[in-house]
Amino acid sequence: MSASVTHSRLAGRDVPMSETPPDVRFIRVPSIAERKLGTSHTAPMRLDPRVLDKMQTTIRKLETKYAEALSAQVSMLQLLVDPAAKGDGEARERLYSLTHDMRGLAGTFGFPVIGRFANSLCLYLEKAREEDWRDASVIRLHVDAIREAVDNPGTDPAITTETLAALERLVAADLAKRKIAG
Amino acid sequence: MTAGPAKADPDFFRRLSILVVEDSAEMQRLLTALLESMGVGRIIVAHDGARGLTAFAAERPDIIITDGAMTPMDGLEMTRRIRASDAGDAANPEVPILMISGHAGRENVTHARDQGVTDYLLKPLSAEMLYEAIVNAVSRPIHFVETPSYRGPSPRRRLEARGTGE
Repeated sequence: MSASVTHSRLAGRDVPMSETPPDVRFIRVPSIAERKLGTSHTAPMRLDPRVLDKMQTTIRKLETKYAEALSAQVSMLQLLVDPAAKGDGEARERLYSLTHDMRGLAGTFGFPVIGRFANSLCLYLEKAREEDWRDASVIRLHVDAIREAVDNPGTDPAITTETLAALERLVAADLAKRKIAG
Repeated sequence: MTAGPAKADPDFFRRLSILVVEDSAEMQRLLTALLESMGVGRIIVAHDGARGLTAFAAERPDIIITDGAMTPMDGLEMTRRIRASDAGDAANPEVPILMISGHAGRENVTHARDQGVTDYLLKPLSAEMLYEAIVNAVSRPIHFVETPSYRGPSPRRRLEARGTGE
């Protein structure tokens, strides 16, 4: 593989040699496409609509399965809140893991609001102290909101948006309070 | 993005090998299915950062796609080790590392960049976002820096997250 070494550029701007620390080297290697195909061919640089279409069809196929699984996952979340509040470590881990999955997948599969509720809950759980787990009221509010969004997708979007905003404010205020408390 | 020379290779993605490091079974399924739809020839899956390091050293994939939050080793720590100068077989300054994360904060993106992440994709993932990031990773010449402790994409470059996070 050919590589070129230069000391002339730093973070996309020209830098006088005197600014470059002596033990830093800047190296450029050919693209993966060039290494695999040589210089006479090229990889598809533009997005091919046919490939994108195949990928989107794949997502649509998985969507149905996901919608079926989602309701069961929310039921599981509801079941986990009580044992998690009582100190069951496994229940806490599972509750976080389910929420984390929802945050990652719900939006991709056409449930963006659920993804955002899950995101808000994830942010809260990632910083939750023992007393937050034991109190569990913020966790319960989120889980109830997710349940409501799954069961009643036709709810007035303004109500859902307001609920979401209220929960996000609650989590943000809580995290800010903890930051101040040190 | 500009067009390259005329002879585009329609089977290019068949030649690619991609390592997916992800602890969620559902996310693994989604990523694997999307990469298969693209026609990627070889997909290797590892369940966390530590297994990702082992798989990377053994398989030498062209690209790594990794989740951020995983236990026991997360995607950031795995990336840090791959970019460390003294990481032995697992060290590699040039392999593109695409991180998928739910954390949209500027400080999260900056931290990922500083560990050596090449591209940062916000959840929820879309087909277009993933496709674009892979095309970008394979098409451009790779620039990296070497210091006594770090070998990877410049930690002083500008890195913006892809996606809106909503």
